[in-house]
Amino acid sequence: MANIGIDLGTTNSLVAVVMNGRARCLLDDAGASMLPSAVRYEADGSVVVGRAARDEAPRHPHRTFTSVKRFMGRAPADCQADAALFRVKMDPTEARFVRFLVEGHAPVTPVEVSAEVLKLLRARAVECLFGEPGGAVITVPAYFDDAQRQATKDAARLAGLEVLRLLNEPTAAAIAYGLDKRGGGTFAVYDLGGGTFDISILKLDDGVFQVLSTAGDTHLGGDDFDRALAELAAGGADAAAKLDDGAFRGLVASARAAKHQLSEHGAATVATAGGDVKVSLDAFEASILPILERTGASCRRALADAGLTAAQVDAVVLVGGSTRVPLVRRHVATLFGREPYCDLDPDEVVALGAAMQADILSGNSQLADDMLLLDVIPLSLGLEVMGGVTEKFIPRCSTIPVNAHQTFTTHVDNQTVVDLHVVQGDRELASQNRSLARFELRGLPPLPAGVPRVRVEFTVDADGLLHVAAKEEHTGIEAKIDVKPSYGLSEEDIERMLEDAIDHAETDVDERLLIDARVEAEGILAAIHKALATDSGMLVGNEAEVIQEVATALQASMTTTERERISALSKKLDEVSAPFAQRRIERDLTLALSGRDADEVGAQMGLR
Amino acid sequence: MASHRSVCFSCREPVQAPSCVGCGALQPPPASPDPFVLFGLPHRYHIDAADLDVRYRTIARATHPDRFVSRPAVERRMALQWTAALNEARRVLKDDRTRARWLATGRSAPRESGGPALDPAFLAEIFEWRERDEDEPGVMRELATASRQKLFRKIETEFSEWEGGSGTLDHIEDHLNRLTYVEGLLRSHPEA
Repeated sequence: MANIGIDLGTTNSLVAVVMNGRARCLLDDAGASMLPSAVRYEADGSVVVGRAARDEAPRHPHRTFTSVKRFMGRAPADCQADAALFRVKMDPTEARFVRFLVEGHAPVTPVEVSAEVLKLLRARAVECLFGEPGGAVITVPAYFDDAQRQATKDAARLAGLEVLRLLNEPTAAAIAYGLDKRGGGTFAVYDLGGGTFDISILKLDDGVFQVLSTAGDTHLGGDDFDRALAELAAGGADAAAKLDDGAFRGLVASARAAKHQLSEHGAATVATAGGDVKVSLDAFEASILPILERTGASCRRALADAGLTAAQVDAVVLVGGSTRVPLVRRHVATLFGREPYCDLDPDEVVALGAAMQADILSGNSQLADDMLLLDVIPLSLGLEVMGGVTEKFIPRCSTIPVNAHQTFTTHVDNQTVVDLHVVQGDRELASQNRSLARFELRGLPPLPAGVPRVRVEFTVDADGLLHVAAKEEHTGIEAKIDVKPSYGLSEEDIERMLEDAIDHAETDVDERLLIDARVEAEGILAAIHKALATDSGMLVGNEAEVIQEVATALQASMTTTERERISALSKKLDEVSAPFAQRRIERDLTLALSGRDADEVGAQMGLR
Repeated sequence: MASHRSVCFSCREPVQAPSCVGCGALQPPPASPDPFVLFGLPHRYHIDAADLDVRYRTIARATHPDRFVSRPAVERRMALQWTAALNEARRVLKDDRTRARWLATGRSAPRESGGPALDPAFLAEIFEWRERDEDEPGVMRELATASRQKLFRKIETEFSEWEGGSGTLDHIEDHLNRLTYVEGLLRSHPEA
């Protein structure tokens, strides 16, 4: 039972296996390794997958699905632009996850569509290996978040595959290159696929592949080149938008074929509704340059996160079919100041690397028994805390597996439930990051505010998936959950989050400090009001007036954005009420420890 | 690798390493591991980064979840915990600031989550820098850079003395808190 490696791509998918010490892609009856990731649902319930589904898409525009990887693990609200772009209709009654409407068929989710592709690859493996495969390593874009990874794993489960590991695509490519060359050094892997872009910086040393950093965009790829070319040929975006779904799909298919011609011959014709249109290489390159420039920002961030300059990278490796476009190669050469490597087939290298990792995970590897892969988490993980601020607990590019723990308390007396909201992203405000999950820790013992200690443990496993466990330390009450995708933001949002986190670092910090100051003030005011209500008898002299005066001023300042004034007044209120607070604590201690001398207890506690 | 548990949870043989020599079962990691002990290093500020990398690779090869794919679930879970603990320990040891703070306080982060306590004299000095920067933009960056270097030198000197058997680590945390603040200033005042 050999383990298999699967590249589940936006436009094409492949399956590979290590046989006789060599990784190779498994072929279909026609001798092709690539299976177009296209699925058509027939009225009789049967499913057509692959080349036929893709080529006949213009005739069945409402029953054929392509590029569904763009919809994996995302909420309908975040997919409207993609749905319009790919001419698919989403079920408007479902707000929690994407479901496509199919003509003459029940609605299907992107996970189900992907599972059809995986099922066919699995069948191919069964045929080629004369039996069921063992486990599978499935590749995902390095920049996929938790929900997108989870959706991929769900699709594999639906297809009846045992997932040994989710492997990042650029890392898979690095394994194929690294084991091929048997060298050491620092690599950059530039992976531009049909719908996703990743850049990973890795160090290979002594058989250990250590990913130093990763960045990318899960909505950028060859699909966008096709669309740019289609619009160019149709005479603009507006003209293309007016086409009916079948004609539009036909135009995009023709543009895709023309793109390949352009890369090889320098000119090509696109068949449009108004006849054949000749497109020059110059015009095509001008139309895709803005798309390409977006990859540059990711490359610079990955280098910065790795603490390296472009000159310190020993080699740049090109991966993904879209890197066949000559302008992409020139762009990468300029970015890194050197010619990129493209010795291995950019379409197959990810699947080959996945097969190698699958072989290594078998425990009796034919290839490299001592090889070890250390990957990273692409986006920071954090919790929403008081005031809507994100408290990061695992920073992006941390080596996985990784864990972190934080302790929380209650804000209200006798509070028995603590809500936690986990977000992924690098912005200061939780609402600007992607929401991963909300969960509750229930059944806390009813105690005064601030007494319970809830320790929350976060673990990101080797697949990049988050697991959360929480426990109240005094009582040992435990709650354990796996993060389930709830809803999400669009990729533009994720990208914008990171870009903005850098651009607007200062405004963010100011905003956060103001929120912190207000939260602190609220806490102090609540405590003071409670103390005044219950223990006014313990006030001496004009304490009551002084405290009330400062409290009123603080209350008023909180409606303003004058952070420093809020902080100063909070501090002052703390100071003027300190003797009163001390008397109350001493009294409480005396009551609690009746039978012992209050002064003695007070002295021991450092109160005197 | 230091001993952390005396008998294998699986076969009850005595163990000294992450894995039981008798049956190969991976043992659970210690609850809050000392990063130095985890890497078999003495408690010293001065460490060899290349040596740390080699030690990390050696241990990771033994504990990484990839090595336990076909082992029982309990061992897979321990592999996850071990490697996570190892990654955290390496993070603490790799960075001069976290390593110093751990040695001085047994923690890798400041005590307060809202930022460390700073003395008024230091804050007054920063206030003066801000004023001077308004008259002469760029001065803040110069002063902060010099302060950063000075703080690192102090940390370095105090650890050298401590490792030589004299001196204490009493002021290290204070230096580190100032350093955190100064580095924050440097980030918020990027080079023109």
